[in-house]
Amino acid sequence: MSEIAGKLFSWVNDRLPIVNTFERHLSKHPVPSKVNFWYLFGALASVVLIIQIVSGIWLIMPYSNTEEEAFSSIEYIMRDVDYGWVIRYIHTTGASMFFAVVYLHMFRGLLYGSYQKPKELVWIFGCTIYLAMMAEGFLGYVLPYGQMSYWGAQVIISLFGAIPYIGESLELWVRGDYYISGITVSRFFALHVVALPLVLIALVFLHLVALHEVGAGNPEGVDIEEFLDDDGVPLDSVPFFPYKVLNALVGIGVFMTVFAIIMFFFPEGGGYFIEMANFQEANPLVTPDHIAPVWYYAPFFTMLRAVPDPLGGLIVMGSAVAIFFVVPWLDRSNVASIRYKGIYSKIALVLFGVSFLTLGYLGTVGVTEVRKTMSVACTVIYFAYFLLMPIYTKYEKTKEVPKRL
Amino acid sequence: MIKSSFYGSQFLTLLSILVAIFFINNINAAEGGPCKDYGDCDKFKYSLNDMESLQRGASTYINYCYGCHSLQYSRWGRVAKDLQIPEDIFFENLVFDKSIKPGDLMTGAMSDDSVNWFGVAPPDLTLVSRYKGDDWIYSYLRAYYEDSSKQYGVNNLVYPGTAMPNVLLSLQGNQRLVCKNIPVIANNGGEKRDENGNTITNEKCGFLEVQEGTGELTKEEFDTLIYDLTNFLVYVGEPIKATRERIGWYVVFYFLIFTALASLLYREYHKDYLK
Repeated sequence: MSEIAGKLFSWVNDRLPIVNTFERHLSKHPVPSKVNFWYLFGALASVVLIIQIVSGIWLIMPYSNTEEEAFSSIEYIMRDVDYGWVIRYIHTTGASMFFAVVYLHMFRGLLYGSYQKPKELVWIFGCTIYLAMMAEGFLGYVLPYGQMSYWGAQVIISLFGAIPYIGESLELWVRGDYYISGITVSRFFALHVVALPLVLIALVFLHLVALHEVGAGNPEGVDIEEFLDDDGVPLDSVPFFPYKVLNALVGIGVFMTVFAIIMFFFPEGGGYFIEMANFQEANPLVTPDHIAPVWYYAPFFTMLRAVPDPLGGLIVMGSAVAIFFVVPWLDRSNVASIRYKGIYSKIALVLFGVSFLTLGYLGTVGVTEVRKTMSVACTVIYFAYFLLMPIYTKYEKTKEVPKRL
Repeated sequence: MIKSSFYGSQFLTLLSILVAIFFINNINAAEGGPCKDYGDCDKFKYSLNDMESLQRGASTYINYCYGCHSLQYSRWGRVAKDLQIPEDIFFENLVFDKSIKPGDLMTGAMSDDSVNWFGVAPPDLTLVSRYKGDDWIYSYLRAYYEDSSKQYGVNNLVYPGTAMPNVLLSLQGNQRLVCKNIPVIANNGGEKRDENGNTITNEKCGFLEVQEGTGELTKEEFDTLIYDLTNFLVYVGEPIKATRERIGWYVVFYFLIFTALASLLYREYHKDYLK
């Protein structure tokens, strides 16, 4: 029996590079031997991606993408479908956790220079994933067709209208109707469950292939490829299996504990993961008192609001995301990691982090004069971090990077 | 060595930032009170395992509220089952339309004329506890007061200008806004007194007070009635809430064990290359 199985396996393996691919990208793939917890969030992001895809498939089954039934089908899932509430809360919690780990993953990149040569493409694929995620998250938020789904979509789609000349036609084309309706819901459904997941999976694949080509980084910014053993394996590396797998497994355990605490005890996340207004069915005649985005868009929403002109706001918000793509060429430092960079880089990164969190906070609360001034100040700091990077990374005193990990 | 540097001081910093964000958001939640003229909403702590409270709440709802407010996502039989009311007793005492079957949705008993009566159609309340919050409901239902300028002779501190009459007036009695003399508090925390030793008071208005003898229930009994009613609305907003919190402990416990075993395994394997 086992002989037949062995023969069958080698027959397939002769025609499909199973063993090779497995060894190259998983079992024997060399990874730096010394990293810290910041290096877990990539693995966690792929875990959440899988969670979202699987829970999403089960949600599609009872969900109805029509104007009349979208909202009530969600309540049907929450009440009448056996363990439907588990699947739905997994998906809503997963959405927030996806952004949480991706933000931390991106911050890791800035912290340890994970975008520097030769990892520019890894970084760019990552930024594109983030862009696709923002679209995916927005489309998904419209599907329950609650008040915040409706009015959030209203605000976001009307942004297209700010584009000169083609704006209005573009807005109509995206919405598919003169106002948000069942047509909008069903096209967003198609994009959310088919188009964007395909794009996301393809991008994640490219992200990983590019990463495995150039090798993972480490907090020291040491190039481990410099010192190889006789087999050409870096001396400061360990095989992915079992070392990194076990490492990630601990991280996954901690992560899933947090995930379960949120999902079972605070599924609304205090109104930040599922907004209270979204428990009311969409009503085109009643505007909610306070239209706030979900927390993960809040920093960008604040930037949009900080600029009085709609087109200007759109440009600022778009640039805030787009600027990530050129970070590899903005950083002129001769070292990668913050540990060996100079004091200016450290101050800049702290200010950037604080401004990003403040922008996020401001996006979830109402506007006052003081907050408006703060929004503008934080937006300026946010952009200054990137735009001044070529200067402060070039003219600061850096420390010498050790040769080995 | 790796173990100690893996979760270093940065990890603690990150954790404290996340905790700080949580607290900032909590402060933020208290800002700009949803209970309007009432001030801070009264705190409500649900008890979804108290079946008697839920049963009384359901009975109050069906008797006083269901005539106008449907619970369109909830099913009759589900309520009976979750609240541990035997189906025959439930249907005999709480379901007035005898053509209703246990699997039917609680779509209400209201005619389409309701818009003409109240100016607005009474909203469905299945999810009211989720979009208004339980604190809000608990405060709102106890904040009616006499106001002859309004259509139904009452107004509400939590929801000024509310279209709903005070359906529970006969139980609560006639609540009015009154003024009271409140002792002025000195800087040292004690009451301020004048030269003769009399307490200095300021007149403050806007206090709710029930006219004695006008209601069937005492204040405590009425508060309990509203507590049960709100508790029921919390239940009906998310029928699996109690189950969710119960299962949650098992899941969290499972992942804690999982994490512990994974880290033991991790330590064992890392002995190899640390040498």
